[in-house]
Amino acid sequence: METLSFEFPAGQPAQRRALVGCVGSGDLEVLLEPGQAGTLAIQVVTSVNGSAPRWQQLFERMFREQQLPALNIAIHDFGATPGVVRLRLEQGLEELNHG
Amino acid sequence: MHPTPRPHDLLWGLRPEHLPQEAPAWARVALGGHVPVVVRRAAAEAGWVAVGVRGTAREQRYASWMRVADIRRLVSPEAVARAGRWRNHPQSHWPALRALAHLQPRFADLGLAWGVTGSLGFELASGVSAAHLDSDLDLLLRAPYPLPREWARTLCSVLDEAPGRIDVQLETPQGAVALREWASAAPRVLLKTQAGPLLLSDPWRAERTAA
Repeated sequence: METLSFEFPAGQPAQRRALVGCVGSGDLEVLLEPGQAGTLAIQVVTSVNGSAPRWQQLFERMFREQQLPALNIAIHDFGATPGVVRLRLEQGLEELNHG
Repeated sequence: MHPTPRPHDLLWGLRPEHLPQEAPAWARVALGGHVPVVVRRAAAEAGWVAVGVRGTAREQRYASWMRVADIRRLVSPEAVARAGRWRNHPQSHWPALRALAHLQPRFADLGLAWGVTGSLGFELASGVSAAHLDSDLDLLLRAPYPLPREWARTLCSVLDEAPGRIDVQLETPQGAVALREWASAAPRVLLKTQAGPLLLSDPWRAERTAA
């Protein structure tokens, strides 16, 4: 088990929270909550050791194209592939907007 | 002649010399010990099957491909369930083993087509230690036809009475979806398909829009 922290620039705080995903191998659970204005803070608890560079890369690629609202995102990862991580984050952001 | 391998099937016959040069040393060592490989949910060329090699450490997983012609033996998750070897497992106090003993008669009553996957399935099928005290119980349930979400909720309540953490994947003709997610209120659920994960409202009807 490893706990990793990441920070990215963000906009105004999100208006609501969302919980998506599943506890189980190859999946992850993502909790999105309103954060401090200007900051996207992500905490990842993962069962895969030594994965910090991969998460950093994945987040950088995802957040380069879009400025997100200020959020505290808590991720509980059970060895999800990058494709699953991206979909779950998109699903969470979608629920913030329409939930 | 073996049936067409499906995700989670265990295959014997991949040898260390079949691995490409860049394969890690631990993967060669593992295959030298005649351990099975696990069929992955990934595309493969005709005559090949996508497999994963397991090492002893948790992060030791190596993705590779195997020639169908090299398959010497195939054990499906259902075969692991039918064999019932958990009854003779020396660590009968492990939550995952107790959960299996608890669920087997209930699943039989419900007439479910189910199997054991994950580290425990691997260990029960191969005799190679892979599971431990804290291992989840990973199960798959064949779901060729749509299952109502209400039914999924009922099955979850059956699981909740068993010890330990249990992860049931529904195998639809399109891919796999977590039973707990199908039982939830989520408008769209994650389906793991051969072409990658998809978010869908109906995991039995995959639109052709890959993620």
